[in-house]
Parts: sequence; C-alpha cells; structure tokens
Amino acid sequence: MDIQPLLQALQDTSVATFIRESGSAFPILESVHVIGIALVFGTIAVVDLRLLGVASHRRSALRLIQDLLPFTWVAFVACVITGLLMFAANATTYAENTAFLCKMGVLMLAGLNMGVFHLGVFRRIAEWDTTLLPPNQARVAGFSSLALWAGVVFLGRWIAFL
Amino acid sequence: MSSSLIIAWIYASPLSTAIRDILWVIPTVQSIHILAITVLFGSAVISDLRLAGVFATDEPLRGVVRRYYPWMRNALLVLLFTGLIMIIAEPDRVLVNSTFWLKMALVVSAFTLTSLLRRPLLRPADDAKRVGEPRLVKALAWLSIGLWCVVIICGRWIAYAI
Repeated sequence: MDIQPLLQALQDTSVATFIRESGSAFPILESVHVIGIALVFGTIAVVDLRLLGVASHRRSALRLIQDLLPFTWVAFVACVITGLLMFAANATTYAENTAFLCKMGVLMLAGLNMGVFHLGVFRRIAEWDTTLLPPNQARVAGFSSLALWAGVVFLGRWIAFL
Repeated sequence: MSSSLIIAWIYASPLSTAIRDILWVIPTVQSIHILAITVLFGSAVISDLRLAGVFATDEPLRGVVRRYYPWMRNALLVLLFTGLIMIIAEPDRVLVNSTFWLKMALVVSAFTLTSLLRRPLLRPADDAKRVGEPRLVKALAWLSIGLWCVVIICGRWIAYAI
C-alpha cells in the first residue's frame, strides 16, 4: 500500500499548512518538544540509574517510580502532540527520512523494554524495593532504557541533517 | 580588534574548519548537548519542585538538593563545552546573534539562582545558615524552572534568528 497520498493529504490540511508557512509555529513546537524531551529523559534517567544501583532522592524504587512517572507521561504526551504537528507539516518528507524512521523504531523498542520490565521484574518489586542494587533483570532494563532513549535523542537530532 | 575580525579569525582557524568538514561532528555534539540539557533540566525540576514544597516533601530538603546538585553542575560543564564547539564551528552565525547573548545572560542568571538557593543546603549541617524566608525560596524555585525553560526556547531560536 502506498501511503504517500495519505501523507500528502495530511500535509495539505490547514493546520499543517499553517505550521509549515508560519515563521514562528515550527520553532515554538520544537522548543516545547525539547522541554518535553528534557523531562521525559531526565525523569526516566533517574529511574534507570536507580535500577543500575545509583542512589536517588529516595531509597524505595517503587516510591521513586511513583514520584516520577506522572512527569514522564505528561511530558511524553506533550512530545507526541508537538511531534505529530511537526510531522504533519512535512509528512511526505519525514516519511522518507532514514533518521526519522529509525527514531520511530527505537522509540518502539524503548516502549517494548518498558513493557517487559513492568510485566516482569517490576511485579516482584516488593522483594528488591529498598535494595540499592536491584536484580539483574532490572539492571538490564535500566541499562537498555538509558541506551534506547539516548538513541532516540541522537536520531531525533539527525533528522535535520539528512 | 573589531568583533568581525575575531569572528573571521575563529572561522578560518584549523579547528573551526575541521569541525565543519567532518559532517558527523555537529549533529553528534548537538545530540550530546541535548542529553546534557535533559540531565540539567530534569535535576533542576526535581530539586526546584522540592524547594518549592510540592514534590517529595516527605524526604529531607537537604538530601534531595545534595543528590541532584552535582548532576546539574556536571551537566552545565558538558553544555558549556559542547556549546563552545558549536561557537567555534559557526562563529559567524552565533556570536552576532542577539538570541545567543540573551541565552548566555539567562544561563548565568539561572545558574546563579540555582547556587544561591542551594548553597546553604550544601554546607555541613551544623554550620549551615538559615535557608532563608521559605516563601521567597519557593517563589525563586519556580522562577528557576521558568528561567531554564526560557533558556531552552532561546537555544532553539538561535537557529532561526538572524
């Protein structure tokens, strides 16, 4: 199936046209996107480092996750909304940008990694909640998450250079 | 020596030329810059919200601030270093850009505010002075988060100004 006509239609909507043609809409979206990324990665990194055994502002890993997850989600939603709007403005071009496609792929891997963590070792968090060095499975999840999200940031920056 | 001569001299220097000629340097340096922003902004939001009395209030203020301050300071050093590389690579775009100078002034203000708010808490507990008027500290903590947001917005805007 060829999705280019669909993307062209998206790109021709009035919202997309406005973002593309207005001088300030795109940099405003980018700024909100970067602030969102800073909160998403900033809060995720605190949790990931805790999973790797780096002490955080509280001992309990569960309480730490509960503290920070609301920030991560709100910021992530802000990134998705601003990201979708920027995508709409030049949909046909982004769909052919290798860095963009790789970024979406790595984003999915990061989500998958989070899913595996939550359905796996997170269910037994009561056993390792206050142990500074969590079990191997949690450490692997923390390390993969850091690497994958850093990859998302790198690939996101590369979109503009391809 | 006028500023345009200095800019021309930096631009023609072997280091500046090398950074521009090796195509992956700029996007990589910019990606590291964004990762450091996430560390600085994430730590700033968490510890400023604690200072503002709306986050992790059951944990001692001193402990939270001490945990995140070194990350903020080290991230700032990475930001200054990666920022310097970008200046050397494109002094003609950056040093004449008023948004860049506004950003630098805001970075100095935001980090001065950050250290002023935290200094009393970073000293050993017994010779620490009073933390200051709580209402003022709370207001300044919110101001600090706002300043970092404006810094990020200015950073994105440098690419569009001129």
